[in-house]
Amino acid sequence: MKKIIPFLLIISMVIYVSSCEKDDICVNGDTPLLIVRFYDIADTTASKDVPSLRIKEVILNSAVNTFTDRSSNLDSIGIPIRSDATTTSFAFITNSADDADTGEETGNIDTLTFTYTTREAFISSACGFVMNFDNLSVSLPASANNWIQDIKVVQESVENSDNVHVKIYY
Amino acid sequence: MYMSKYIISLTLILLPLILLGQSEPIDLQKKDTVEYKEQYGLRVGADISKLVLSFVDEDYTGLELVGDYRLTHKLYLAAEIGNETKTQSENLSQTLLYNFETTGSYIKAGVDMNTYENWFGMNNSIILGGRYAVASFSQTLNDYSIFDSNQYYNQEFLAGAEPGREFTGLTASWLELVVGIKAELFANIYVGMSARLGFLITNKEDENFPNLWIPGFNKVTDGSNFGVNYNYSITYLIPFYKKSKKKKEPNPQ
Repeated sequence: MKKIIPFLLIISMVIYVSSCEKDDICVNGDTPLLIVRFYDIADTTASKDVPSLRIKEVILNSAVNTFTDRSSNLDSIGIPIRSDATTTSFAFITNSADDADTGEETGNIDTLTFTYTTREAFISSACGFVMNFDNLSVSLPASANNWIQDIKVVQESVENSDNVHVKIYY
Repeated sequence: MYMSKYIISLTLILLPLILLGQSEPIDLQKKDTVEYKEQYGLRVGADISKLVLSFVDEDYTGLELVGDYRLTHKLYLAAEIGNETKTQSENLSQTLLYNFETTGSYIKAGVDMNTYENWFGMNNSIILGGRYAVASFSQTLNDYSIFDSNQYYNQEFLAGAEPGREFTGLTASWLELVVGIKAELFANIYVGMSARLGFLITNKEDENFPNLWIPGFNKVTDGSNFGVNYNYSITYLIPFYKKSKKKKEPNPQ
């Protein structure tokens, strides 16, 4: 009888270990969004909400799907960048509205181009591969009408959506 | 007077017979301890489950040869050597996340201890054992796609840029705890099954694609060194010599 006890203990340990395998459901990873945060140019430590913010990817020419279009209470947004290219351009529109007669955009449009390199990364057995982005840089053609005053890339590698990658001052 | 002398003489003559009669039970006990000699030899065979799976499952081929050599009444040297190829897919509903093939060989060596006291003439075992195992293998990432829950650009996942990549020179080593049984089915033919709890010690993997499955070790779980595998063996005992079991010292009462 004494010999049965360690035997049962080991059997139950085998069953325990084999049953505590993680479920194959992807919860712990995703292709990250690019996080942009808006700051006050007068006080560069204070974040500032953008009035009626609209962001359109230039080729698709439609508002990004990650936040409510024309929100006025956002100081931070996550936007998807192209995994199948190394540049993505966005029209950042403040005070976005449609002209009542022509339906044309009346807000101030600044077109930002994000340049980066892509890197496939294996995240977990449940999620498989996601795309990460490295060597991020942002360019804005100089113009007197730009509402954006300054841009800083604070993280060149985009590996998750938890941190701010780009700071925009206006 | 003559009569009493006769009776005393007769008693004296018969007295040794009474003593003889008393020593008889000791003789009987001696007859009881007929020596039984146990078979010692080399047991060799194969894992049947891997053979069956190779025929049934088109994504798997594997062969494992098993063997043990009896050292003492309880102790055996034991080893397994095998080769496995397995193709696996991970899907998210209908979409393929990745598909890969692992192929390689392994060898496990260690000891088995029979904890079962057989009845007269039987040769069955309840085994507790340990192994040290090493595997050398490669993984081929046949196909994969880039997981992205945001469908702003594409409804479907982007296909991976470099399908068909092969990751070679992968190695792993682990310790294995074995629990199992072996039963003599016919003379010298044994069937056995065992469950093995593995603990990875080393695991050399490519930084671009981890070792998700290791030949001989089975599935590798994220963030854990433990793994479980099984074997169902059929073996043949090549008898070398017979040896009687060491007599147990009588328990001091």
